[in-house]
Amino acid sequence: MTSTTMRDAFFDRLYQLAWNDRRIMVVAADMGAPSLDKFRRDLSTQFLNVGIAEQTMVTIATGLALSGKKVYTYAIMPFATLRCYEAIKVNIALMNIAVTIVGVGTGFSYDDSGPTHHSTEDLSVMRALPNMTIYCPSDSLMAARFADLTYNLNSPCYVRLDRKVLPAVDRKDYDLSSGYRFLLNGENGCLLATGNMAPQALKVARKLHQAGIRVSVVDIFRLKPLQEKAFVEIAKKAGWVATLEEHLLAGGLGSAIIELLTDHQLRVPVKRFGVEDRYLYEYGGRNHIQNMCGLSPEVITMEIKKWVKDLRF
Amino acid sequence: MNTFSHLEHKAQLLRRTVLRMCIGAGTGHVTSSFSCVELLVALYYGGILRHDPKNPGWENRDRFILSKGQASPILYAVLCDRGFFPKTWLKTFCKKNGRFGVHLQHDVPGVEVTTGSLGYGLGIGAGMALAARLNRQPFLIFVLLGDGECHEGSVWETAMFAGHQELNNLVAIVDRNWLCATDFTENCVRLNPLERKWRAFGWDVRSIDGHSFPHIFKALSGLRLRERNQPLAIIANTVKGKGIDFMENQPLWHGIAPQGKEAREALACLKKIIRTEKKGENDINYNA
Repeated sequence: MTSTTMRDAFFDRLYQLAWNDRRIMVVAADMGAPSLDKFRRDLSTQFLNVGIAEQTMVTIATGLALSGKKVYTYAIMPFATLRCYEAIKVNIALMNIAVTIVGVGTGFSYDDSGPTHHSTEDLSVMRALPNMTIYCPSDSLMAARFADLTYNLNSPCYVRLDRKVLPAVDRKDYDLSSGYRFLLNGENGCLLATGNMAPQALKVARKLHQAGIRVSVVDIFRLKPLQEKAFVEIAKKAGWVATLEEHLLAGGLGSAIIELLTDHQLRVPVKRFGVEDRYLYEYGGRNHIQNMCGLSPEVITMEIKKWVKDLRF
Repeated sequence: MNTFSHLEHKAQLLRRTVLRMCIGAGTGHVTSSFSCVELLVALYYGGILRHDPKNPGWENRDRFILSKGQASPILYAVLCDRGFFPKTWLKTFCKKNGRFGVHLQHDVPGVEVTTGSLGYGLGIGAGMALAARLNRQPFLIFVLLGDGECHEGSVWETAMFAGHQELNNLVAIVDRNWLCATDFTENCVRLNPLERKWRAFGWDVRSIDGHSFPHIFKALSGLRLRERNQPLAIIANTVKGKGIDFMENQPLWHGIAPQGKEAREALACLKKIIRTEKKGENDINYNA
């Protein structure tokens, strides 16, 4: 499983579920995966390719779901969300239909493809939709568990999957329903991260540790709804919080955390790490693109050290 | 008196209900509703659409999707008259604490899906049609689209899909009133040759006069026995605002309810038509 991509982990598990439940259907907009080849071959009536037509993917999924099917739509993230956003709003979110939107390609994971295929806005816009639950796994083991989780949901859901094989972050058991897990405990501050930035946060934490700053690392894998009270307590205890996301700062995880803390009148310093208000025509690997926007563990560590030093508690 | 006189009478009574609803609310798409009255009357009163007002969620009901959701007043009037919900609901159209507004709402009994954002109803209908085939369920799915709605690319995405999937349990009825919101469709972006377009997308196509019951019934008959493996598109040529002479075919009457003198004139116009017809037993006695 550690060498499996998130989408294969997710769809392999869904394939097992679909053998026992013919209601499960995958509706794809001309997007494949090795795990889906198997799905298409063995469960041909449960796999539907609508072609490169994302609005139709959403409306067909809605019609199927209204007829008792358990539907998963699937495409590269910008196309699964932004391209058909209003169709998702009107048909899935507004009518509160249990369709799971599966997008692959978090942040810069299509690092060879340029900004058309980067997904750095999806969280901001999908978060704005009432009734929508949003999941973002940090490794393939978790992605597989999300297949079971979404199978049992009765409302709209969006699952953001990374394209790359990410290392298994933590093998310890954790409560999937809480929406977050502690990867590290420390008393000097807290890093809140999601998706591929969770393993990045662990790297940052190790570097900070060398400088005598011991921080907690929390992996937030359910981005909506957030466990408000839990995060208020975490922030209170930590004294300061830094958020890490491979996503635009406008409206992403950091925004969500600031909104939450402000709503609870909690004055805790927050430092956000994410993508500034820009697009990047950069190639040469994901690490390079992360470096270009200050998301490498080295830069984040340096920034936090500088920031923490200046903080007045 | 012809075979369809009771349906013709019903159509005029429903027009009056719609007009009163919209005048009372000071808003609502009167003209968009009036172009498809006969189509809805044929479906709901002419024995075409299998439905049960006492059991709106009946599993084997035919599905009717009003994709041109701005014509909600006529569907609400029909559903109310059929007994899906109490008559008092119509009086609160677009009002505080009312049950529904200008665009169609899925939580109203008898309404399948929310519409109002154009171009989605056909896709949902195609999804339902596919599910019905997979589940071996015998019902039909009817989708009523506006012709202006056919400017939406999503309509043609779905048309291609449904043609490819040979969804012969799917019926699209295009309310061809030749107008979109601000102009005639052919001035705005030409839709013709509309029949040939649907045919090219793999559909069986029938063109009719959408205000003529003989035409409508001819087009909608035998749908459950159709042998062609194609979805069916019915291009219903209609007149936007049909029945109110000064509102017919006028782009500027889109989305507007007449007020004051014009409201009185519009009601008088319908009254004249209704008076000349035999008074039906099914008058819904709705007083706005």
